Amino acid sequence: MTDIDVSAPGIGADPSRRRYELEETGFKEVPKKWRKFYRHWGGPLDTLAPNEVICPVCKVVIRATRELRPGDKVYCMPCMSRMVVVVAESGRLEAEVIF
Amino acid sequence: MTQFLAQYSIQRWMEMCPQGYLEDTVYGHEPNEHEPAVILDDDDEREAAIRTTVGLVVGERCALAASSGLINAAPDYPSKRFLATQTLDEARHVEVFTQRLFDLGVTADNLESTIDRYANPNLVKFAEVLLEKVAAGDFLAGVVGQNIVLEGLAFSVFEMLEAGNREFNPKFAHTLSGTIADERRHVGFGENRIGSLIAQHPEKKAEIERMQQEMTYYMLAVFADSFRGDDNKPKSAPEPTASAEWHGTNLSTASPEEMEAVLANTVLGEFKTRLARVGIEYQTPRVPA
Ligand SMILES: [Fe+2]
Ligand SMILES: [Fe+2]
Ligand SMILES: [Zn+2]
Repeated sequence: MTDIDVSAPGIGADPSRRRYELEETGFKEVPKKWRKFYRHWGGPLDTLAPNEVICPVCKVVIRATRELRPGDKVYCMPCMSRMVVVVAESGRLEAEVIF
Repeated sequence: MTQFLAQYSIQRWMEMCPQGYLEDTVYGHEPNEHEPAVILDDDDEREAAIRTTVGLVVGERCALAASSGLINAAPDYPSKRFLATQTLDEARHVEVFTQRLFDLGVTADNLESTIDRYANPNLVKFAEVLLEKVAAGDFLAGVVGQNIVLEGLAFSVFEMLEAGNREFNPKFAHTLSGTIADERRHVGFGENRIGSLIAQHPEKKAEIERMQQEMTYYMLAVFADSFRGDDNKPKSAPEPTASAEWHGTNLSTASPEEMEAVLANTVLGEFKTRLARVGIEYQTPRVPA
């Protein structure tokens, strides 16, 4: 497995971004090494942190080690989708799939 | 084109699935889990559970036939390899939901007759539309039909069922959550593989939208049955055929608007979004002649 799997956490280098310590939250659908980068989505009432975005394809929450910004590329290992972070009409960060 | 599959291998599938979230499970649930007594001890509840589970077995048998059939239609090896793992996932889904029927008291001798008795005729028709494309070796239509239409919908339904059973029936909820985890890969393959392919073959769009329209009609009819509570309500008579009068509504003549209303903004909304992402415009189904 290569770095491409962890493109979301890899955003990390920018020091102006807030850092997040990630811990496993019980998401077991990927090999152990990557489990902390994902969590189950709790539905519409689940508030996302600034380092989190929902995969629109499989509804898993993708978590990065730094806050996310528009233009960031993220990878969803559970469904293998690559996406780019965008600002939605609501002002929230969302992910758009790159085919 | 299949760059998204570059990270996918049978090795990865083993690490995620049999050696990952399925490790130590028995037919998809924890070894010490059982169906709750409130289902097993009540004939009506048990029958309702059998009816729901038959629907899952019928859907999964269709997915097994479609994913295995699409292996030889796939134009590239990464897709063939992916579909080989999906084939095993689907065979497992057929197995775990069939096992649930046995756990609910269906005997091996009565399995097929039980499935025939409780299978929703609209679900059977829905499957036939898809399997026709697969039999014709049409990869593009087959993947849209299976991995976007069938599985996009199954995904939403499984999530709803899982949430509803988490407290009440952890055994069934666990079986569902392993299935949902598999389903994430399947919908991911559908959208990622097809998103670029549709753009390259715009001439196929009209035909695919027609298939979607037809599948959606039957799907809405199935949902209409369940959302009206008919699938959940215990009853001793088998379900009526599509042409029968049903609680004041004839399913073969009900307007799609009537059926869609049942599902507005829930499963259907999600389904339209999925189709739109790969460049397919949702077509409201017509009442079949
Ligand atoms: Fe399945
Ligand atoms: Fe599937
Ligand atoms: Zn995903």
